[in-house]
Amino acid sequence: MQSESARMTTAREASYRVQYPNSKKRAVKVIAVDPASAKIVDEISKKDWNGAAFFTAPAFTTEETPGGSGLKAWLKDLAGRTMDLVSEIEHCDFAVVITTAGADARAVSVIADACALYHKSLVGLVLPGEDDSDAAMAESMRHLRPYTRMLVIASGADYIEAMLTALRA
Amino acid sequence: MLKKEQNDYLCQTNPGTPMGNLFRCYWMPALLAEELPENDCPPVRVKLLGERLLAFRDSEGKLGLIDEFCAHRGVSLWFGRNEDCGLRCPYHGWKYDVNGQCVDVPSEPAESGYAKKIKLKNYPLIEQGGVLWTYMGDPEKQPPHPEFEFATVPLNQTFMTKRIQECNWLQAMEGGIDSSHVSFLHRGDLSSDPLFKGAGGNKYNMQDMSPVFEVVENDGGLLIGVRRNAEDNQYYWRITPWVMPCYTGVPPRGDHPIHGHFWVPIDDESCWAWSYDYHPTRALTDKEVAAMKDGKGIHVKYVPGTYIPLANKTNDYLMDRAAQKAGKTFSGIEGIGMQDASLQESMGPICDRTKENLVGTDNGIIMARHRLMRAARALADKGTIPPGVNPEHHKVRQAALLLPRDVQYKDGAKEALVARKGVRQASV
Repeated sequence: MQSESARMTTAREASYRVQYPNSKKRAVKVIAVDPASAKIVDEISKKDWNGAAFFTAPAFTTEETPGGSGLKAWLKDLAGRTMDLVSEIEHCDFAVVITTAGADARAVSVIADACALYHKSLVGLVLPGEDDSDAAMAESMRHLRPYTRMLVIASGADYIEAMLTALRA
Repeated sequence: MLKKEQNDYLCQTNPGTPMGNLFRCYWMPALLAEELPENDCPPVRVKLLGERLLAFRDSEGKLGLIDEFCAHRGVSLWFGRNEDCGLRCPYHGWKYDVNGQCVDVPSEPAESGYAKKIKLKNYPLIEQGGVLWTYMGDPEKQPPHPEFEFATVPLNQTFMTKRIQECNWLQAMEGGIDSSHVSFLHRGDLSSDPLFKGAGGNKYNMQDMSPVFEVVENDGGLLIGVRRNAEDNQYYWRITPWVMPCYTGVPPRGDHPIHGHFWVPIDDESCWAWSYDYHPTRALTDKEVAAMKDGKGIHVKYVPGTYIPLANKTNDYLMDRAAQKAGKTFSGIEGIGMQDASLQESMGPICDRTKENLVGTDNGIIMARHRLMRAARALADKGTIPPGVNPEHHKVRQAALLLPRDVQYKDGAKEALVARKGVRQASV
């Protein structure tokens, strides 16, 4: 008699897999932490997404210091509106931070604090920057490594879209 | 998650498909050398990338890999007679050499030259490191021979097995770069398997169950680093290389041999899981080889006389619920190789990735798919030679080492990640 595993692993049996959805829409916050990555994120945000929201953290990189004025001013959406970082993170499923090699990525520590507060995963993505030296990459990694559960060093911006699609963002 | 058309794109490797064309850029393991042990030995059926082929070693030791079927009436040449520098079809006596060239059509006068008009498709077959490798692409674009370290060390330092896996190649290969499953599926084997136990680094795996991942693109594919906390402000890093399209390495443990896999498509619903073990600087011990032959480590026990795993889908993988309940194995299946294979086959012949829900720590898998698709498109659109074809890309090593916390593994493990003759692996 044929074993159950042998019967159940055929293409015919695969066709009987239930067709009901097995997951709900996620809220994913994608945050560009430097001007170069903000431009990339701006382009990507124009595509159709499954609940992903896109932000930049320009205030920190240009003016403010960590812990200075609290977290409320830390994010801007792509229309330029200031958003409450803590609230955005609280209501997300996970967050993705994007930076380019050599850019100032100190904002990540604050985003990470918000993620830690609400036990949300933080994925980091480093793209090539104007400075493609090992030192520049190391500097970016220094800011991301302590806080990200998964850190990806990608060779091109096209990976962002591939990753977000794969994650159903 | 992949869209259906993306999944089809990656999974289909038959002739004329984008991924089939990509695979045909590389040298791939086709047979173990032991399968053609002597001149004029019996021919062996080989199915790769959806093509039915026949391998044989002629009277002079030359290797051939040709279309399985006689050009006359289409019978399988597996029934043929391997003699006098050729394979003769037993039906009407047509004979072929290792290049697939017909050299005799007995019913026609030799002087007619009829035989010269008949030629079966053939692919080159070379022997290296106990493996017979083939290249199934454009002959004019044949790359230099492979230089994976396991296949270039002396034969007494290397050991290779293969087993059939009844699912698409991609879901099998993805298991090789899915570092996060080890803490679950293979827990228990670290302390019991003779090819893993006793390594100093094992304690870090057991102490820190929340590893952190870093994925880095390199010239040939990916490096997937997993770090765990260690003493003295260090991290314990385990670094898995993936060389496109289907080579994966398992980070080493102590002075145990290094191991890893090739995942070679047979057709869209089955693949060969090749499993290698080697040591860069010493011969494998009798005890190690005996353990490998006994199915320990990443190897498996076989149905005698075949490359079919003894535990397989027809016997429910010898599922042992008592061992599962007692915690001896996490899944109830014995042995790392079949623990992986049983679950990957359970996905069905071709995994439906439209239903999956990946998480951030799956980025190694996401990146590998992305690179495969990107390379296949670049090949199709511009004829770009894909990563992993250049033999320099093969000279990568897996590593397991301690590094200061402020050091990038790409830098701190730079030398450890390169295969160097006579230099021991970096392993804790």
